[in-house]
Amino acid sequence: MKISLVGDAAITKSNSWRVRYARMWRESPRSFRIGFMILLFWVVVAIVGPFLAPFGPTQIGTGIPLSGASWEHPFGIDQLGRDVFSRVIHGAHIVLLLSISATLCGLVIGSFLGLLSGYIGGWLDEIIMRVSEAMISIPFLILAMLIVAVAGPQWSGNPILVIVAVAIVYIPRTTRLARAASLDIITKDYITIARLRGEPSLSVVRREMLPNATGVLLVEFATRAGFAPVLIGSLGFLGFGMRPPTPEWGLMISEYRELIFLSPVTLAGPGISLATLVVGLNLCTEGLARMLGRSGEGVSA
Amino acid sequence: MSAKSPILSIRNLSVAYDGVDGFLEVVSDVSLDLVGGEALGLVGESGSGKSTLALQCLGYQHPRARVLQGKVFLQGKDLLNLGFEDLSRIRGKTVSFVPQNPTTALNPAKRIGQLFTELLLHHGVVRSNHVAAKRTTDLLSQVGLPDPNQMIRRYPHELSGGQQQRVCIALALACSPDLVVLDEPTTGLDVTTQEQIIGLLVRLRQQLGLSMLYVTHDLALLSQIADRVAVMYAGQIIEVAPTVKLFKEPLHPYTRGLIASVPHFLSANSKIGARPLQGLLRRADLPDGCRFSTRCEHVTDLCMDTRQRLEATSTDHYVACHRWNHIKVTFNEEKKSERLIRQKAEAILKIEELTVTYHRSGSSIINYFRTPTTPAVHNVSFQIRRGGIFALVGESGSGKSTIAKSISGIQPLDGGKIIFQGSLITASIGARPKNLRKEIQYVFQNPDASLNPRIKISEIIGRQIEILNDCGRDEIGERVMIALDDVRLDRSYAKRYPDELSGGERQRVAIARALIVNPSLLLCDEILSGLDVSVQASVLDLLRRLVLKKDVSMLFISHDIAVVRGLADDVGVLYDGCLVEMGTNEEIFSAPFHPYTEMLMKAVPKLNKKPLFDNDSHQITPSEAKKVGCAFCGRCSKKIGEICEVTPPPWRLFGQSLYIRCHHEGEELKMVPDQK
Repeated sequence: MKISLVGDAAITKSNSWRVRYARMWRESPRSFRIGFMILLFWVVVAIVGPFLAPFGPTQIGTGIPLSGASWEHPFGIDQLGRDVFSRVIHGAHIVLLLSISATLCGLVIGSFLGLLSGYIGGWLDEIIMRVSEAMISIPFLILAMLIVAVAGPQWSGNPILVIVAVAIVYIPRTTRLARAASLDIITKDYITIARLRGEPSLSVVRREMLPNATGVLLVEFATRAGFAPVLIGSLGFLGFGMRPPTPEWGLMISEYRELIFLSPVTLAGPGISLATLVVGLNLCTEGLARMLGRSGEGVSA
Repeated sequence: MSAKSPILSIRNLSVAYDGVDGFLEVVSDVSLDLVGGEALGLVGESGSGKSTLALQCLGYQHPRARVLQGKVFLQGKDLLNLGFEDLSRIRGKTVSFVPQNPTTALNPAKRIGQLFTELLLHHGVVRSNHVAAKRTTDLLSQVGLPDPNQMIRRYPHELSGGQQQRVCIALALACSPDLVVLDEPTTGLDVTTQEQIIGLLVRLRQQLGLSMLYVTHDLALLSQIADRVAVMYAGQIIEVAPTVKLFKEPLHPYTRGLIASVPHFLSANSKIGARPLQGLLRRADLPDGCRFSTRCEHVTDLCMDTRQRLEATSTDHYVACHRWNHIKVTFNEEKKSERLIRQKAEAILKIEELTVTYHRSGSSIINYFRTPTTPAVHNVSFQIRRGGIFALVGESGSGKSTIAKSISGIQPLDGGKIIFQGSLITASIGARPKNLRKEIQYVFQNPDASLNPRIKISEIIGRQIEILNDCGRDEIGERVMIALDDVRLDRSYAKRYPDELSGGERQRVAIARALIVNPSLLLCDEILSGLDVSVQASVLDLLRRLVLKKDVSMLFISHDIAVVRGLADDVGVLYDGCLVEMGTNEEIFSAPFHPYTEMLMKAVPKLNKKPLFDNDSHQITPSEAKKVGCAFCGRCSKKIGEICEVTPPPWRLFGQSLYIRCHHEGEELKMVPDQK
């Protein structure tokens, strides 16, 4: 009761946003704060890292290959004599960009389809859901490879193709989730009111349903975004994704996996980086979901 | 009674919740005694802290709650200092709890019998499953459940709400506790079921000599069950008195307002001489002094600054108002209800032989091969006069909402016609033109569900005219403000989200949204049932005013026949999808009565009503002998015999415009619902 709602409104507009964000930060769950710090760290690394990295991502002869960790080479040196630490730093923006944009594409399209399918129901629902289920039944790696293969060799190694492939893998999964969320939302009377006033279907989905599904969708975004680097790396490893020598973390894990006994730190470098990024993303979005879902309903994922 | 030592005694208890803005005190400095065998009623609006206090009597508190000071003694034991082990030995055995919502309180995965066995074995009341089963059937028959041997094999979802609550009560009684704490045990139930539950509790109390702490927001209920009543406001007990005394001469202005807010329909509410409560309980800005002062009509400067303490006005009457002596009880003449008798014969809406069947939900492909179920609404015909209020009354499941949904166009019909303003309208909302969609507006029961929690109030209301009225974008903002003024909400509310409003305010927003497009027919579906009594009164008042001002007609759906009495012009009583009685307000509430109408009227809790006894004769499930003869015959107290079960009763005209569907002639139906 020290700060009432009325009191807040009285604060002048110029600094009100600062007060609001400061307050939001104070009231946010601890998981969000930790996750946010980790994420912020990686975003900073992705932006300024390339300028500060001691070596280039493909620069060879930086030291004795597989010589293990040292102050100069914290993650050691790979079999070609490249500094793994520098490669991890140079790879950060690639990983972030690829995985987040791919997940975002999949999420936006998938949630739109799912919500629409749930709202309209009937035959459209049947078609969308059966197609989604058929796609889910194909293992995701095989599906992604299929897409890359269909695109043809001229697209090979193109980041856009990787994004599209991952997005298509994610769409049916997100569709199912969004539809499940919509089934609860469409029973609410505000949807009936919208229908009664003759609101167009797309408008109902965007205005009335989407804001109420954000909690679920954000959590979905977190888990999917966390998994995306792994998927992209697997594609790269199989020769369907990014091509060496791109310092993409998943690709690096694949490349260095033989070194696990020779120089474990070399594998651990990109591995731990990926793990912290995934954990950070998860903590952050989970906390965000809890904050956005004021009442906490529909967020338990 | 006063000679006995108290079984429960609460001393200076303060409880606070750990909120965003620090600790919020929800119970402040409460002291209360409950002597053995006594039933104490605890009444207050939502947010008054009554449930928090009730849970403290079991030594339980919400994980975010902290006890700031005070003690709770149960039979001399300090509950707040006991460990988990000791508490679990006491809970259920010495003190037990009956929750508000039996549906969520009973574990859906366990059979009724298991629930009892678990409890009985835990407390060591019985040693073996076999004896537990015996004890369970005894308990179940004690609470009046039919066929206890069958019952223990059932799952909770197979029982009706009333039966579930009986099971909860039986569970609470299983280990013969000394004190039972009941937290709004009948709030979610129909009036008739509520009456039965109260009757059961009264009977059990006399048989077993239980002490009860009965928490409710419904003051009228307490008059039937409680010996003493404690009135709570904003975490403080503001008045304690024996029930009869409290209703006869309430001293605190809040209590008076509360009593005046109870809708009456047979007796005038003039004795108290107070107006219904104004305003709302806002925990965020309570004054330092008397917490009620912001809503009190007798407020003085002193009230604002000085904290009020409970003081004795007589041996058993305490009040926390230092002006109680100065406030004279003013006798108001009963105001005639302000309903205008507008006998415009012209009907705005005519429903003819409406029949609606619910098809099973589920996958549409599977549905395609299924046969439809029995109709939810069967051959219903009525008309709403222009500018009039037509009320549909009935229990839950009687098909009231289905009718409203059919009129609005979201529920497809299986037969019948809807004639609106003289022309037949299509049943499907998708096929209705814009001006027709505008004319019929719907207000839902639960504003939590009918206002999108993620959209601002201004947009919630504004979108309605944006879609339905051709008015400029710049005009919308101004129209929204006017709409807010109409429902007496502050204009600043436009910037808020629904969860920043109280239940009553939200319902006002929902009303504003419906009225902003100037409809000619308003469908109100149980719009008061989720609200506190005092808020109900003010929303009802608002509705009455707006109907006059905006000249809209209204279909008012309610299970509360007392509210209908004060509001409606014409009334239809619905039972199991059939109209059983229809006529003008005056006709419905005077003889002759359909037996069902009579039952509804008798079930309404009234102040000063003598306690009822459990009457199990009405308990037969309505599904028996259905669809051939009279739907109501299974529960009817005036059943003639064979004819009721076999022949559908005639729809007969009595007097000017009163229709009753019954085999009885006029004379037998003239039993006036008495005050007993």
